[in-house]
Amino acid sequence: MRRLVGILVVLSLLVVMGTSLAAAKVTIRVISSDDFAPFRKSVIPAFEKLYPNIKVDFSSVGYDNLLQKELTALSADRSAYDVIDVDCIWVSEYVDMGILEPLDGYVPPSERSKIIKSLRDTFTYKGHLYVMPMFHDALFFYYNVDMLKKAGLSRPPKTWDEFVKYSKIIQQKKVAPYGSIWGWSQNEGLICYYGALLHGFGGKFFESGKPAFNKGGGLKALQWMVDSIYKWKVVDPNSITATDRDILHSLASGRVPFGFEWSFAWGVFEDPKQSKVKGKIRVGLVPSNVKGLPSATTTGPMGLSITSGSKHKAAAWKFINFLASKKNQIKQSVEYGAMPIWKSLYKSPAVLKHHPEFGVMVEQLKYAFNRPQVPYYTEFSHILQVALQKALTKKMTPKAALDEAAKKIAGLKR
Amino acid sequence: MERRILGYGGMRHLAVFLLPATLVLGIVLVYPVLYDTFISFFHYSLLMKYLNRWVGLDNYIQMLTSRSFWYAAWISGYFTVVSVGGELVIGLFTALMLNRKFHGRAFVRSLVILPWALPTVVNGVMWRWIYDGNFGILNGVLYRLGLISHYHSWLASPFTALNMIILADIWKNWGFFTIVLLGALQTIPDSYFEAAKIDGSGFWYTLWHITIPLLKPAILVSLVMRITQAFQVFDIVYMITQGGPANGTQTLSYYIFYNAFQRLQFGSAATISVLMTGVTLVFALILIKIMYSEVEYM
Repeated sequence: MRRLVGILVVLSLLVVMGTSLAAAKVTIRVISSDDFAPFRKSVIPAFEKLYPNIKVDFSSVGYDNLLQKELTALSADRSAYDVIDVDCIWVSEYVDMGILEPLDGYVPPSERSKIIKSLRDTFTYKGHLYVMPMFHDALFFYYNVDMLKKAGLSRPPKTWDEFVKYSKIIQQKKVAPYGSIWGWSQNEGLICYYGALLHGFGGKFFESGKPAFNKGGGLKALQWMVDSIYKWKVVDPNSITATDRDILHSLASGRVPFGFEWSFAWGVFEDPKQSKVKGKIRVGLVPSNVKGLPSATTTGPMGLSITSGSKHKAAAWKFINFLASKKNQIKQSVEYGAMPIWKSLYKSPAVLKHHPEFGVMVEQLKYAFNRPQVPYYTEFSHILQVALQKALTKKMTPKAALDEAAKKIAGLKR
Repeated sequence: MERRILGYGGMRHLAVFLLPATLVLGIVLVYPVLYDTFISFFHYSLLMKYLNRWVGLDNYIQMLTSRSFWYAAWISGYFTVVSVGGELVIGLFTALMLNRKFHGRAFVRSLVILPWALPTVVNGVMWRWIYDGNFGILNGVLYRLGLISHYHSWLASPFTALNMIILADIWKNWGFFTIVLLGALQTIPDSYFEAAKIDGSGFWYTLWHITIPLLKPAILVSLVMRITQAFQVFDIVYMITQGGPANGTQTLSYYIFYNAFQRLQFGSAATISVLMTGVTLVFALILIKIMYSEVEYM
């Protein structure tokens, strides 16, 4: 009898332990870029309430440090993060390194077709979807309508030639010391700005697999950048040392009227804690010098991915799915200025109503170009950044700098 | 004799007491250095491990014939010479000043060490803002004093940016020379200087023929320390210019960082670090040899 009771006690203890283990908490580690981190952090409590068994350990770093942070952490430990933030330009490299989990199984084709096609294509590599896009993005043309009016201008410039002309007028009337400030320091942002200008002058990065940026539109674009600082003096020379995140306060403090920034900048301009120009910023189409092409800019969407070494893939997916849900996409757009990934949301009154400049931003997406999708993108980008900088600091002429870069890039082997 | 010095147990106890320190040094210092030298003979990509292979001296040949490498080496060399030179001169003169008696001397002496106590990263961020082209106080002060007609972008030109970083480094580190040389100065008896004065020796003559020779050991020791540190400078470059503009401030250490963490080529990065270590070692040995020959003369 005693033995039977003993066995029953042990069995019941095991049952209790078993059920509590099943309900054990899973912690997923998420690394994100700083840009939309405030939004992501704001929805974590709701997520944890919905999934009481999952705890989110969230960290974020500045975009310029994100690539290194992810690669070094994951090389030491493949499960260091469960969810990582992936920029559109890293997809092929990350997949070739084997650190991303294919998401085909998590996103059925019916759902996939509801995402904007260009986003789907950007984040698909070798036939599989590897990254769930979180927002669409491009460099938008933000301008201060107050300063325009003070200078007697009724609309923003439509071509790069007009851009220079309008900047000169603004400077002559002493409304601002410079028409614009850019982020042309030696980092990825420089390639984004150059790309917008390259396409705006009718150039191409590659043609038939060979570098083509050292002639035609690509060369004109760099010459324009150099002339804008030294010849026409309409661009703040500090642009050479600034990143696209640095120039935010020049725009947000009302010092300079024209600036080219990502979608997250809207949230900064409208935040009274960070900006003195709330309500004065409008969005125009990025200028273009090409006849028949109203505008040209560079894309910059990012998304979240599950790491291949993650030990909690299902839980990781739940978090990604939560952030991608229509409800949260609307919240990200309305409160933080992001561009949603679902086609249907571009007709949603909630989204269109709360963001007065949204219509222009949607229009801009039609004229947005991707950066080259090559497997050795990081090295390509670095070589080109140094070349652009050499021309911008007048160490070499634009033609010589681009020719040198083209030669190095053509010789890149993997 | 051994027993008398080491006491009971002798060598055995000595070995046991030295073991923890040896273990720590071995793991933290010896193993990484050996492993680093080992990888320098490989094409070693961090994540695409299937590409890794033995390449013998290829990395070294490639590095020693690479323009980027020599450009980085020139920048490191220039930085070291100008930065340490500046710190030494300022440090020496401040030490001489602080060696004299005046009211508040103790207070001033403690102020001198403050920049040196600042973490290099904090120093970097601070100077980045001082040099800022739109909001920096360097521009503000110079403009108000009428020394410049408009705000300059101090970090926008490669050579100027390099010199500005050197300035920031000198500001942070001259206190080190002051303290070391002040300590050494105080061991020189006043009678030497009094005798010199009586013999009609002026300030510069005394400085060059008496003070500096007597300070040689202290100067050499502090030079070895500061030169090896300056040659390896990284933090301040990372915080202020990230190697730019146009690689104009890319010191050797930053070049290693770029190879390792942006190109993800650990083999190349290891090669540079081995070369740097070699140069530093040779240099330190030369300085130490000079120093010891001086001490014997003393």
